[in-house]
Amino acid sequence: MAYPLSAMLKLAALQAAAQSAYTDNNSIWRHMSDALHQSVDRVLALLIAILPGILAFFVALIVFTLIGIVVSALARRILTVAKFDDRIARNRGSADWTPSTSPTALFARVSFWVFVFLGLIIGVSAFDTSYAAGTTLPISLLPYLTHIVGAILLLIAGTLIARFLARSVLIGAVNAQLQYAKFLSLGVKWLVLVLTAAMVLEHLELGGSIVDLAFGILFGGIVLTLALAVGLGSRDLVSRSLESHVERSGERNPPPPNASAASHSESIRHF
Amino acid sequence: MATADPIPVTTSPPEPPGGNLLVLLAPMPASQVEPLLARLAVSFSSGSLLVAASDAPAADSYPGLHLLAIPASQQTMTLTAADFASAHQLAEKHRSRAILMLGPEAGSLSSAALQCLANAVLTTPADLALPCYHLPPNAGLVNSAILYPLTRALFAVHPRFPLAIDLGLSLRMAERLARAAQRFSLSNPGEALVWPVNEAAVAGFSIAEFDVGPRVLPQPIDPDINSVLAYVTGSLFADIDLKAAFWQRARRLTLARNAGRPSLPVDGAADIASMLETFHLGYTNLREIWSLVMPPNSLLGLKRLSSVEPASFHMPEDLWARIVYDFVLAYRLRTINRGHLLGALIPLYLAWVAGHINITASGTDPEQHVEAVATAFEAEKPYLVSRWRWPDRFNP
Repeated sequence: MAYPLSAMLKLAALQAAAQSAYTDNNSIWRHMSDALHQSVDRVLALLIAILPGILAFFVALIVFTLIGIVVSALARRILTVAKFDDRIARNRGSADWTPSTSPTALFARVSFWVFVFLGLIIGVSAFDTSYAAGTTLPISLLPYLTHIVGAILLLIAGTLIARFLARSVLIGAVNAQLQYAKFLSLGVKWLVLVLTAAMVLEHLELGGSIVDLAFGILFGGIVLTLALAVGLGSRDLVSRSLESHVERSGERNPPPPNASAASHSESIRHF
Repeated sequence: MATADPIPVTTSPPEPPGGNLLVLLAPMPASQVEPLLARLAVSFSSGSLLVAASDAPAADSYPGLHLLAIPASQQTMTLTAADFASAHQLAEKHRSRAILMLGPEAGSLSSAALQCLANAVLTTPADLALPCYHLPPNAGLVNSAILYPLTRALFAVHPRFPLAIDLGLSLRMAERLARAAQRFSLSNPGEALVWPVNEAAVAGFSIAEFDVGPRVLPQPIDPDINSVLAYVTGSLFADIDLKAAFWQRARRLTLARNAGRPSLPVDGAADIASMLETFHLGYTNLREIWSLVMPPNSLLGLKRLSSVEPASFHMPEDLWARIVYDFVLAYRLRTINRGHLLGALIPLYLAWVAGHINITASGTDPEQHVEAVATAFEAEKPYLVSRWRWPDRFNP
């Protein structure tokens, strides 16, 4: 009799354990399901929040592109009727314009791209505004979209300016007979590039005070190097410049009667 | 289209011209104006000469001349667009038949020279009368290296000084130049250059050149070669770009230029060391920029030139012609910034000058060398035309 009783007790315990495990499994699945639902809701909410921005961006771009096409076509037609190309050719005294680069084509193309660019700017700002309205959504990368556009523009402008200044300095230094022309040009180029990089990082809000510090050290280092190089290397140039200044001021006074004839270099007259 | 007219080189002084002649004097100090007015009064028949000057003295000082005070213009080393515009305006206002424009230091011109220039536009069918100055061998080098050979090769006219500062103009020539000057009315007419020879060639007007003997040429206010070379060559390159439709057609000079005039003696060998130093510095540092402008063939020529000893340094004429043509083309195509382009030309120009001085020092007549350069420019003209028409395909 004792055996069946103990067996029954064991069976009841097993049933209770199985019941408890089943209840726990249900709870986990429900939790997981809730979590997944919440994530999906959050993603959908985010998409709903930024969709108007994206839509506004594309609408602005498309609308301004269409306006650009219309304005370009109108400008082309009006200028063709007004014989703009002929007038320009007459004023310039030459009909050297090829059809692909005629003043009319140029004007039409410029007007089209101005509108496209305008659409891009307005679209980006619309997207920015739309996103700002839903800032409760915790996405950290999206604000960078607008900043990245600005940073790319900064980078392009900085690179162009660096190349322009480097060439200007190189040519000027060669014509001034400075032996370290290349070095000077490279120094100026890297100064501008470092400045550009610092501005880009600042614009992207990356690095924080490290950028300021690194920029200060690099910029100061380059300036100091250039100052030392120019100061030590151009002593002759400075002394020549001073001498010629003294000579010029001496020319204002009457020359002494035994003044020598013109030097060899003065016998060369380019004009 | 008209071809270049034969250029009579007269040496005997002509009869004093009559008729309505307007003489326009460039801004110059009173110490230069007064002797010039005295010379004009002696050289021309009285009562027919109207002289316009910014600092004209009292009208009764020179009874034979009608003096006209005009507003002072900017003092420059050569005639500018504003000068041509005001010359035409004055000529129309006073119904003059011809104009004689005299630049700074014109007092160094002889009476015969003044009469030649005036007589050509008053009594002959010439529309543009140009002087041919006798300069020292190492003077007017930009003209000898670039302005004269380029103008001669492209426009098939051979005045030795295309940017002369003393000119005789017929009324229609003055009108043409004033119209050309209008292009610069919005920019800076007081500094912009107009190229009378190019305008006359395009318009089919006749050009006459006269040997006027020595003349003191005014020097630029800013003696820096870098800025002045860029100013002058940039203006000529722009004018060539404008008139491409004209000069691309094949044209030949109708007469060979008479290069037999006596050259003045060389006053000692000039120092070419600093010019060669600039060239070598340029070759070391500017090769990257030059390679954007010039084809490998020209760069190879410069490489060879960079290893030549200073005593035997000489830039081959055909290489120089191609270099200048490459720069003209790069100016048109805006291959690099135009300021940079003209700056990069300076070491090459100085290399040419160094070679020219070496040749002169060896006893060769400088004019003979300049003529050889001009002939090389003519021979290489098809190279420019090919690259101008097909800049990407033709790159030897």
